[in-house]
Amino acid sequence: MSSVPGADKKSKLLVYSIEECPVCGQKTKRAFVVGDYVTKEAAKCTKCSNQTRVSLVYAESSKPSG
Amino acid sequence: MFNFSSVVLQVPFDTTSLISVFWIGFIVITFFYQTRLQSYLALNDISRGLNKLKVMKDKSRKEAIEYLVSVGKAPNDPTQRVDQFLDYVTIMPVDIDPAGLVGKIDHVVTTNNDRVRAEVGALLSQNNPVTVSISENLLEVATSLNMIHKIVRHFYLLGKKTNSYFTLIQLQMLMPMIIQEADALLNAVDSFKMGQPVGDGIGPVVVSKLMAGKEKRVVAKDTVMSMTEYKGRKLYVLKADGPMAYVGQPGVAIRKVVEEMGVKPSAIVMIDAALKLEGEKTGEIAEGVGAAIGGIGVEKFQIEEVATKNSIPLYAILVKQSILEAITVMRKEIAEAADKVTQVLNRVIEEKTKEGDEVLVAGIGNTLGVAQ
Ligand SMILES: [Zn+2]
Repeated sequence: MSSVPGADKKSKLLVYSIEECPVCGQKTKRAFVVGDYVTKEAAKCTKCSNQTRVSLVYAESSKPSG
Repeated sequence: MFNFSSVVLQVPFDTTSLISVFWIGFIVITFFYQTRLQSYLALNDISRGLNKLKVMKDKSRKEAIEYLVSVGKAPNDPTQRVDQFLDYVTIMPVDIDPAGLVGKIDHVVTTNNDRVRAEVGALLSQNNPVTVSISENLLEVATSLNMIHKIVRHFYLLGKKTNSYFTLIQLQMLMPMIIQEADALLNAVDSFKMGQPVGDGIGPVVVSKLMAGKEKRVVAKDTVMSMTEYKGRKLYVLKADGPMAYVGQPGVAIRKVVEEMGVKPSAIVMIDAALKLEGEKTGEIAEGVGAAIGGIGVEKFQIEEVATKNSIPLYAILVKQSILEAITVMRKEIAEAADKVTQVLNRVIEEKTKEGDEVLVAGIGNTLGVAQ
């Protein structure tokens, strides 16, 4: 998992990839791995076993309050 | 007989007058040496900032070299070539006769971009376009930091040499903002190395959803277009070719689509990241008219020209962010604005065009980590 310093320097930002199923719309959030990009084919959907795609890659503060 | 103590006592030397003498001295010194004192403090301040800039510039250079070696598998030590690269200059065309200036700037900038890609390609032992584009961006960051350090050092030394109070004070005032910008550039290195989408990529993220699964065609250098439909309108959607760290040539692409492919759009909608003012929220969406595109101005000029010539209204949808957020990994607030931007885009298309119309939608920005 990669992380970059947050804007306030104290909190670290953790980077996630969101896998979205185009059929049932189920979203799964997982840690970003190098090579991920938006629209990349990801794992099969756990609900309807259709092909999911990475729909977003974003960073979030590691503090639970966000 | 001479009485020593009586003489001493006659001299008016009590503590009150001592303090008075001190104050008069202090006022005289500050009156004559105040600027010198402030110059000294400014020099110290700038010198500290300059050291920080030097550390940043060295770090970005080191990171670029490391990336070329470890990921790009450069067959030879690229250090010397990178150092030459950092000092490469782009000479802007003369502007005393401004007619046709944009074309000249475009020519110089395109030449430079082609040169960078060719040289980076020659340094690496592979031609994976993502790796090449990331290397290009890392070298650009290192070049920018190198340039910032050089310019600040120039004014620091000039101010010191000429003892110029105003040069030093101006530089001291600008220093925090310069450091902030340099810090943003250095932070960008981490996101680029990982191939993560940056905040500036929000436009491409939005249009990539419209392009996914559609046939793509290259319409300009590093720029691709797909066709899709929305409520009876034919959408021509374009963005830079991802997931490479490209910005493409949206200006050339829009001109080609309108003038060479014979498309007659009733509207051009541009989606881009915009710098927020302090106090504005990250991820806030703003709507407007005009060409939403940054950079040196060439693309903007081209888009405005083709839109004016063909009387096509230009609409803009902007996502607010800071400079740091724009060039480092996309923040959650920005990513989550994507769905809202899509809603705004749909509304703009519904309000400004009618069924059967053609609409051009352009996602502007660096498309690193965003394919289509
Ligand atoms: Zn599903």
